[in-house]
Amino acid sequence: MHAETDLSTLLASVATGDRAALRAVFERQSVRLFGVANAILRDRDASADALQDAFLRIARRAGQFDATRGTPEAWLGAIVRHAALDIIRARGREIPSDDPNLGDQAVSPEAEERLSASMEGKRLRACLEGLEPKNREGIVLAFVHGLSHPQIADRLGTPLGTIKSWIRRGLQTLKECLA
Amino acid sequence: MIPTDPVERDALAAEYVLGTLDAQAAREVEHAMESDAGLRDLVAGWEARLAPLTVLALPEAPPPALWDRISKALDGPRPAAAAPARPSPFWRFWALGASAVAAGLAAFLVLRPVPDQRLMTVLLTQRDQPAWLVEADGGALRLASLNPQPVPSDRVMQLWALPQGATAPTSLGLIPAEQGRLTVTPSAIRPEPGMLMEITLEPPGGSPTGRPTGPILFIGRLAAASGT
Repeated sequence: MHAETDLSTLLASVATGDRAALRAVFERQSVRLFGVANAILRDRDASADALQDAFLRIARRAGQFDATRGTPEAWLGAIVRHAALDIIRARGREIPSDDPNLGDQAVSPEAEERLSASMEGKRLRACLEGLEPKNREGIVLAFVHGLSHPQIADRLGTPLGTIKSWIRRGLQTLKECLA
Repeated sequence: MIPTDPVERDALAAEYVLGTLDAQAAREVEHAMESDAGLRDLVAGWEARLAPLTVLALPEAPPPALWDRISKALDGPRPAAAAPARPSPFWRFWALGASAVAAGLAAFLVLRPVPDQRLMTVLLTQRDQPAWLVEADGGALRLASLNPQPVPSDRVMQLWALPQGATAPTSLGLIPAEQGRLTVTPSAIRPEPGMLMEITLEPPGGSPTGRPTGPILFIGRLAAASGT
C-alpha cells in the first residue's frame, strides 16, 4: 500500500506512529543508509547497530522532519550519520585510518559522477573543486568516513593544527561558494 | 561551551555536521540545539550543504533480520533483547564528574538544621548550575525546582533513578510541566545512598524505549544530608 507514496508522506505517517510506514521507509532506504553507516564504521555488526539506533530516532522524531528545509533522503542520511558517529566516538575511533580502501573512491571519477547526479551534488562538486586537493580530501574523509582531525592529519601526512585550520577554512569557502 | 560569536557558532555547527567534534563537544551541541533555535538553523544549513556527499558512500544491503530487530526494539519495553545492555557512557561520566560538585552543594545545604538523617541531592545542569533539590523521605522522593526553566513545547521531562550496581536506570515518571514541586513514591526501587538521579528531555508521553533517549538536563547522586 505504501509502494507509490513519497518519502515525505511516509515520514508524516511515521510521525503518527504508523509502523507500516516506517517499514516502508526502511525497505526503500536501508540499502543506501546501511552504506552510509558502513562507510563510517566499516563493520557490518556496528553498522546494523547504527541503523537500529537511527530507526528508533526516526520513529521518534519523524514529526520534526520539515520538507521546506531539505529532502527526506538528506534528513534520514543525517540521522544515520550521527548514529554511526556516536558509535565510532564511543569506541574511541579505533578504526584504523590507514585502511587502503579509505578515501580513494571519494576522488575517483565514478564517485564524482554519482555526486553530479543531483543538482545540489553538482553545485557542491563544483565548489569542492575550488578547494586545495588535500583540503577537499580532508572534508570528504571526515563526512563520508567519520575520520577525526588526528586521523585525517595522519592519513594526509599533515600536522594536526594545519588540518584543523584547513578544514575550518575549507568549510567557510564552501559555504560562500554555495551561497 | 556553545560560543556566542556568530562566526564561531557557525564554525561549530559546521564541524558538528562534518563529524569532527569529539563526543563531549557533539553532545553539547545536541543538548544546546534542544533550546537554541538559532543553532538548530545553523546545523540544518550545514546538513543541507553537505548532504550530497552521502552518495559517496557505497550502498550496501543490511543483514536480512535487521528490520525484525528494529521492530522488536520499537515494541519495548524489553530493549535488552534487541540492543545489548550497555550503560550509557554519560552515566559513567556523570557518576564520576558531577557528583563531586553535587556532593559539595549537598554539604553546603546541610549546614542548615535537618531534623534527622535524610538522603538528598541537588540535580545540576550540564553547566553545574543547581536545578532541582531532591530529598528522600522514607520511600518517597520530594523534588523542588530551584531555577525553573521552560521545556520545549514538544518535549517532556522524565525522572530516572539508577541505584548503585544497577546497569540501567528506572523511570520514576514524567515531571508535569510548570510544576516546581512534586513527590514521587517509586514502587520498584527504594532511595538509597549513592543512587544516581537524572532528568532527561523526552518525547511526549516519555521515553518510548524504557530508557533515557533524550539529553540529560539535570543529574545528581543521593547522599546522606546529616550525620555521617
